[in-house]
Amino acid sequence: MTFLHDDLRPVQRRVAAMLAVVVVALGAVLVRLWVLQVVQGPRWRSAAENNRLRRLPLEAPRGMVKDVHGEVILDNRPAYQLLLFPEEMSDPARTAAFLTRIDIAPAEEVRARLEKARRTSHLPSVIADNLAWSQVAAIAAHRAEFRELEIHPATRRSLPPGATIAHLVGQLGEVSPEQLAERPDLRPGQLVGRSGFERAYQDVLGGTPGNLVVVVDALGKQVSALDEEPPVAGRPLEATIDLTLQREAVEAMSGQVGAVVALDPRDGAVRVLVSQPAFDPDLFAGHLEPARWRELTSDSLTPLLDRALQALYPPGSTIKPLFATGALRDGVRTLDDTVYCTGAVNIYGHPYRCWQAGGHGRMALEQAIEQSCDTYFYYVARDAGIDRLASWARTFGLGTPAGIELGGENPGLVPDDAWSRKARGQPWYGGETISVGIGQGPILVTPLQLAVAYAALVNGGNLVQPHLVPGKGGAPRPTGLPPEALAHVRRGMERVVVGDRGTARRLGSLPVRFAGKTGTSQVMRKKEGVKWYELPWEQRHHALFVGYAPPSDPQLLVCVVVEHGGDAASVAAPIAARIFQRAFGPKVEDGQVTAAVPPIWQNTSLPPPPAPNGQIGTPGEVEPAAAAPEPANPSNRAAVRPVSQPGPPLQAPPTRQ
Amino acid sequence: MKRLDPWLLLSLLAISACAYLAQGSTARALAAPGLANRQLVWLAVGAVLLLLFAFADYRVLARFSPLFYVVSIAVLLALFVIAPLRGGTRSWIAMGSYTVQPSEFARVVTILAVAALADEYRQSRLNFAAVWRMAAVVAAPALLVLLQPDLGMALTYIPILLAALWLGGLPWRAWVALVIAGFVLVAGTWLWLLKPYQRERVLTFADPERAPYSSGYQQRQSKIAVGSGEITGKGLHSGTQSQLRFLPAQYTDFIFAVWAEETGFVGAALLLAAYALLVMRIFVVALSARDRIGAVFAGCAGFVLATAILVNVGMVTGLAPTTGITLPLVSYGGSSVLATCITLGIIQSIWRLRYANV
Repeated sequence: MTFLHDDLRPVQRRVAAMLAVVVVALGAVLVRLWVLQVVQGPRWRSAAENNRLRRLPLEAPRGMVKDVHGEVILDNRPAYQLLLFPEEMSDPARTAAFLTRIDIAPAEEVRARLEKARRTSHLPSVIADNLAWSQVAAIAAHRAEFRELEIHPATRRSLPPGATIAHLVGQLGEVSPEQLAERPDLRPGQLVGRSGFERAYQDVLGGTPGNLVVVVDALGKQVSALDEEPPVAGRPLEATIDLTLQREAVEAMSGQVGAVVALDPRDGAVRVLVSQPAFDPDLFAGHLEPARWRELTSDSLTPLLDRALQALYPPGSTIKPLFATGALRDGVRTLDDTVYCTGAVNIYGHPYRCWQAGGHGRMALEQAIEQSCDTYFYYVARDAGIDRLASWARTFGLGTPAGIELGGENPGLVPDDAWSRKARGQPWYGGETISVGIGQGPILVTPLQLAVAYAALVNGGNLVQPHLVPGKGGAPRPTGLPPEALAHVRRGMERVVVGDRGTARRLGSLPVRFAGKTGTSQVMRKKEGVKWYELPWEQRHHALFVGYAPPSDPQLLVCVVVEHGGDAASVAAPIAARIFQRAFGPKVEDGQVTAAVPPIWQNTSLPPPPAPNGQIGTPGEVEPAAAAPEPANPSNRAAVRPVSQPGPPLQAPPTRQ
Repeated sequence: MKRLDPWLLLSLLAISACAYLAQGSTARALAAPGLANRQLVWLAVGAVLLLLFAFADYRVLARFSPLFYVVSIAVLLALFVIAPLRGGTRSWIAMGSYTVQPSEFARVVTILAVAALADEYRQSRLNFAAVWRMAAVVAAPALLVLLQPDLGMALTYIPILLAALWLGGLPWRAWVALVIAGFVLVAGTWLWLLKPYQRERVLTFADPERAPYSSGYQQRQSKIAVGSGEITGKGLHSGTQSQLRFLPAQYTDFIFAVWAEETGFVGAALLLAAYALLVMRIFVVALSARDRIGAVFAGCAGFVLATAILVNVGMVTGLAPTTGITLPLVSYGGSSVLATCITLGIIQSIWRLRYANV
């Protein structure tokens, strides 16, 4: 239509150039695809997997723990947890505000938990436990808004006995970063045993957590479950603890500060382990609020301290049977040796007083134990020397942890010259030996150690390992102590209760027979003419009592320590007596009174100890063992009671049921 | 029929097949099975239109282009009054149960108008008046689209002008001036025209870590989808990113990610090759056109198509910001498919008539 010739060659050149540019650009896009899909493909594939797969931890129910009678100590109950998926969290401040609004925790606490969850791992972690129904509902309602939050049904530890077993069971806690590094099978936020029984038997009770791998869509909604690795529940355990006795001990200790340990002296099976004051262990079953934690840790009575294994006390007079045994073994004393107690002695130019101001008169070994004569043991200490005293103490396991599964035990302190040089930079001062002889001075023990030492005294000289699960104690270690020596000391300890001058004679009239030793360890120097109950609490002496029953065939050994209890015989010994009563005392069954241990009037005792000179209890200077009733002694029936009888026991004590 | 370009038709067929499969997959993910079939219907209608325009004479169309142009401008203006506000824009009008996007057709008309205009200046270099007239012809509909507001669509008008000026020929000084003018325009647009969310998109592209959960989220999910397809893909209907709806706007802007995830590098490269063949044939048509109208129309149309493909795939693979530019023929949308088919029909007409002596 137009006649003008149009030269299209420049246009065609430019079209060719354009084509070249487009081809190059398409090539660049192809290279980009190659890089994304082939070179970086695996990386993007895992990103896609992370997008769609959620690993939900399936917590394994922890094993149940029962006491020796099958009563439940630890169990589980259902509870709801709140899981946080840190990668999904877009606005931590908004999430924190929401969680604060529904009362998960105070604002700063919520922020701290979110921050921790984000720092620990990219895997989901538990940020709240034991949710209330209203909280579960609120979170479910805001699910689309907070994709990082998820409700997870779980179980929580229930402790039916409550504070009674606070220290014993220990605490569950979120696994610590150090534990996580050590044990790859643990998960962030997982509750594991952090102390006590829960920690000692974590491997048994803990089980193996499972996994649920689910596919979620872009809204975080679960589309399907891909894979389930079911959790393996923890195995149940039967503990050696006797909840009946444990409760009795807690009741008996009410209002006091201290510890009670009871064990079977034959094998070391622990029946009672009480520390007072206690706390509500349920506080530790989930996430503990810092305020409650501060409250517990700032309490001056340190309720979190397990006094039974962690607190140190001067053993006081309870050390005397141990030293008496050692003295007999090493020939420092024989049964014939006596000491005349005038109430005070002068050793190394220093006066030492016996607790009995007027003096005990002439004392032989068994009497010295019965009446807890300090003078007798001052001389024993002087003659033995500190190194021998220390070796005796160590023979009974003092100075080293008793080896209970719970861990955290205090090894105590058995002082000697070497220790003094090392710890104090000065040689041992001889005067201190005399104090150590009556369990004062630097010697320190835990209630558990004391119980184990006494178990060795009464079980024929074997050191047992205290344990909470049957069979975990191992074989008792023989100490090689001569049986005769042990028998004499045991007679002395029987006389503590039934002897008419025994320090715990006021308990001799109870319908259950037991033996033992009192100990009143000084906190402050004694004040003249001031009764213990007139002193302020923190200045009173510690009251200790270690006893066992039945005396002829010990099956239960109880060690009671009452901090600032004041007086062993009137405070500590009755607590032990209550436990013995509960264990062996008369019980009404089917309208009939039954007793595991023969009552007091069917008096039985040990076979007569072999007398050193073929004579029993009548060494020259010593007062007769079976002392005649003293006119001044206002004892009633106990005064006419024979303490020990030559000849076989009238009746073999029935074993405990 | 024999006088049509078989390669162009072949590539169109390949792209249509990919489009149907990809739309089928995303339709399943979105639980909207109708989408894939509708797209197939559009492609079929498009094929008919293509043939219709192929056997028309593009020179006649070019002669009537002023009329088409005026009608397009009128419709674009009318949109401000009659179009309902959908997704924040007034770019759609309802026709029965269908919606039509006039800006797609206006773009074809604009290309035709520019080609007709170019025919008035048969010299090796464009003069000042020619540049101004071309710029005005392209700018008028582009501005109307920008005001709808539909930034992505408006941007697709820019290649028309660039291609027309390039093909018409400009001295290098004019190109420098144009670049400066472009800069000023972009800066002005940034400062006064862009909405905050649009600025955010561009910023996110520059720094993806800027907002990993809002604007950057889309691009990240898209890259995950493409990359996780690896070499052979996850299989049709098995792409986790698309089926679990991590992928945004997957039946329109991000359809290529669906395809790349499910068919892998192999499938993505195949689709890209089909596009390359299509674009190459269009430029071949431009090279063999018998007159300036044909050469400029095919050149402009090829460039517009190529930039749309490049920008869309670049966006999906994280090379370009998310601009809302769809992938021609594969992204869901009847208007887009039909407009593209009309363009290809006109190009076939140019090819058919390349030796015509009339």
